[in-house]
Amino acid sequence: MHRLLIQSLRWLDVRMVYLVTSLFVIPVCLLLNTNHSRTSAYHFYRHRLCYGRLRAAWSVYINHCLFSQVVVDRFAVFAGKHFHLDIEGYEHFRLLESEPKGFMIFSSHIGCYEVAGYSLISKTKRFNALVFGGEKATVMAGRQEVLGHHNIRMIPVKEDMSHLFLVNEALDNNEIMSMPADRIIGSAKSVTSVFMDAEARFPAGPLSVATMKGLDVLAVNVMKTSAKHYKVYVARLSYDKHAPRRQQIQQLADSYVKELEHRVRQYPLQWFNFYDFWSR
Amino acid sequence: MNELVKELKDEIIEALNLEEMTADDIDENEPLFGEGLGLDSIDALELIVLLEKKYGIKLADPAEGKKIFTSVASIADYVSKNRKK
Repeated sequence: MHRLLIQSLRWLDVRMVYLVTSLFVIPVCLLLNTNHSRTSAYHFYRHRLCYGRLRAAWSVYINHCLFSQVVVDRFAVFAGKHFHLDIEGYEHFRLLESEPKGFMIFSSHIGCYEVAGYSLISKTKRFNALVFGGEKATVMAGRQEVLGHHNIRMIPVKEDMSHLFLVNEALDNNEIMSMPADRIIGSAKSVTSVFMDAEARFPAGPLSVATMKGLDVLAVNVMKTSAKHYKVYVARLSYDKHAPRRQQIQQLADSYVKELEHRVRQYPLQWFNFYDFWSR
Repeated sequence: MNELVKELKDEIIEALNLEEMTADDIDENEPLFGEGLGLDSIDALELIVLLEKKYGIKLADPAEGKKIFTSVASIADYVSKNRKK
């Protein structure tokens, strides 16, 4: 299925695929609501953004259409297509890249982070990205084919914890380590922060790694602005490296959450965490 | 060896923020992960960094790491034989 999509996207305009998915696939998905994405998205627009019922329902539809579009875009990239990228805050990346020490990038499940790999290329430091270990082989192969020659290494999360050794090795070699920082996967340890006016739990892992090594951290969010354009937002996160460790972790979490909330309020239709994010 | 075990317990408590525990609460033979002390992958990375910083031991092999991190006693045994600091 994935391979067929990649082959089709070599000659098909992505807008054709957008149209078909928006008219035929998304309505069926919303009707079936098998993974409760409709319910959780509606809850997000109704209760977190305080939209009225009609606006919330319409937002759920557009949100799912946009989600399908970024998934299509991801495969379009594997098929060799290019998107126009504007980068805000590139100077933060350039500055950290020029320093001898490695640094971390925190990503989120908003917009389409995967497109950033093509723009945030470092000439001096290898870019390592921690990715979900259960991805389909075609996705991993596509990533490797497109990203491999850009000095980018994918590190899949594995049961045997081998990814931890690779993360440690990358940071010891002063490389760039990118991790999603909004979803609790693997370790159940979390840090609580106020996000969209309510307490939410964020994974302790990325915060723990950054503070244990005293690393600088960037938040990178890549948002879709039109059919063929994306905007990359690079922001420097802050925490007091001399504070007690627990405080450092909380400060870094709060800094990340502040940037995430800013982008989510700016692009509310590109919130793609389809589960009850605020559950205790 | 007993001194090293006690030192490791204190280091683990500090590195993993186990503030509610004392060294006496940890049985050096009980498993660190899953049942026992209940550590998980994030804690494993803390332990990798701890061994590196405190004892100059650089672990690179996941299979070897799994064996070493079985219990405090197994870590102490490995540290005593391989420490560089």
